[in-house]
Amino acid sequence: MVNAEVTYRACDSEYNRLELGSDAGGPKQEIGIVIDNGFMAQTIAKIRLSAPYIAQNTRPGQFVHLRLPGLEAHILRRPFSVYAADARNGEIQLLYQTVGLGTEHLSTLPNGTHVDLIGPIGRGWQPPRDAKRVLLVGGGLGVAPLYSLASTFTTETEVHLVMGAQSADRLICWKPFSTYITEPCLHITTDDGSAGQHCFTTKAVKDLLEIGAFDYIATCGPEPMQKSVAALAAEHQTFCEVSLERRMACGIGACLSCVVNTTSGLQRACVDGPVFNAQEVIW
Amino acid sequence: MSKRGLLGDPTGHSDDHSLGSVDLSVNLGGLQMRNPVTVASGTFGNGKQYAEFFSLDRLGAITTKGVSLEPWIGNDNPRIAETASGMLNSIGLQNPGVETFISEDLSWLTNQDVPVIVNVSGHSASEYLAVIERLEAVETIAAYELNISCPNIDCGGMSFGTDHQAAFSVTQLCRQKTGRPLIVKLTPNVTDIGEIAKAVEAAGANAISLINTVLGMAIDSRRRKPVLARKVGGLSGPAIKPIALRMVYEVHQQVQIPLLGMGGICSAEDAIEFMLAGATAVAIGTANFTNPYSAPAVVDGLREYCAEQGISRITELTGALQ
Repeated sequence: MVNAEVTYRACDSEYNRLELGSDAGGPKQEIGIVIDNGFMAQTIAKIRLSAPYIAQNTRPGQFVHLRLPGLEAHILRRPFSVYAADARNGEIQLLYQTVGLGTEHLSTLPNGTHVDLIGPIGRGWQPPRDAKRVLLVGGGLGVAPLYSLASTFTTETEVHLVMGAQSADRLICWKPFSTYITEPCLHITTDDGSAGQHCFTTKAVKDLLEIGAFDYIATCGPEPMQKSVAALAAEHQTFCEVSLERRMACGIGACLSCVVNTTSGLQRACVDGPVFNAQEVIW
Repeated sequence: MSKRGLLGDPTGHSDDHSLGSVDLSVNLGGLQMRNPVTVASGTFGNGKQYAEFFSLDRLGAITTKGVSLEPWIGNDNPRIAETASGMLNSIGLQNPGVETFISEDLSWLTNQDVPVIVNVSGHSASEYLAVIERLEAVETIAAYELNISCPNIDCGGMSFGTDHQAAFSVTQLCRQKTGRPLIVKLTPNVTDIGEIAKAVEAAGANAISLINTVLGMAIDSRRRKPVLARKVGGLSGPAIKPIALRMVYEVHQQVQIPLLGMGGICSAEDAIEFMLAGATAVAIGTANFTNPYSAPAVVDGLREYCAEQGISRITELTGALQ
């Protein structure tokens, strides 16, 4: 938990800060209500739900397991990282990409729709308390769980973000990040060069690590990218956490669908993760 | 009947005294259950995860994840694929082995005031026997479920359940090791399930559970590859319910021992259909993934159904198809 005496970064007026730590309540079923749902960029959308229990207990890096209403033939829930949570108003926000029938359907849910959620689930980010310089690396939709993490650092910490996307029109939500991260620390990359640097995120990460040392790296996005970032972190002896995605059924640790191979054996992405110490993951 | 179900009310179990006169208890081949509802092996972990949502003593029994002699690491990822009204899995019976199971999972489950059915798995007859021999030393086990039907391991498992002689001999060997209720779990991936059922009955099984998953496959058309790392897996969920009902119905006509019916049960209505087809008890499987409250919601729905229909003992429903 961060010290209450210190000065936080200027806070987004709409969303209060998520606190780190594991003293919050565990997963519960909660029927959320859609407040707002719409596209932010090509194929990338944001849904805002009223879900007071989850909003009050979510910590950065955790996720919710969502059942799609009106698609009963799709029997499995879908995991979504919590992008932002507002404990006071009892609201959470999720980002999603329309990649199939389920997420296409999600994008059509009108305001007022009841959505069956289980959450908050999983082990969130565990940055060192005294980190002075941190690097967040998000590829595509992988920036979603990094936003609430960014909000936890104080003004004492220099927070850098490398955000990558295929192209400028798929680049999402860098504006909210500017609440927590100032311009010189925001590093945008695109695969086609239509915005920011014309390279992969890993090139930008490599360059940053060569210029100066970081105390902590957190990354989420495509697994090959996370693997490369983990390797760069290891090379520079920097503590690094990754947030892994797996096909998941129960989401509560029972079914063993979502296992990750680690130095301490098979771990479940849902409850032992999704955030893992990068050095413990066997890629 | 209540519409509690997949969007179930977490606090929805009924303490209504007007329903108190219904006797939900059943006897499954010597296993006394306070109600006919258990969970399907592998869909409930070893109970702890679900105890966060409801008190396990609301169920008739808990069936554990398959236990083998040594630890098994299971299959590669991806291990699951969603399909229309169902899912495929190829977990591969990942489990920590019988010793860790006893010291960690069973010791906790024992304190939950619910009978424990231990699902026993093996690659060979001698492995099944070794697991049972070890478990015989533990006093708190209520029954065994012999898994001769898992489609996700390369040897053992389903190979015993698809041959009536192999099914007979492994059941008979296990029978000789234990006086506890012995339930044998059958695979639907056979030509004549009645023949296998009669073989395990003749070998001394006290009950039969059916069905395990239906062997299936999912393909990613764009990548031109199977979705599952192991290529094929076991289909479960509402998609297989008609197959399971037909097999319970057929087996009920061919054996005397009681049946534990399962395959796509999501609601009390589904459970009643299985009982009418001949099941004495039922197991909730994949529905646990959709809604963690599925199993206790089925118990409550059964009680309401009996009250509405004027049924005083739920055992009246078994095989009561007209």
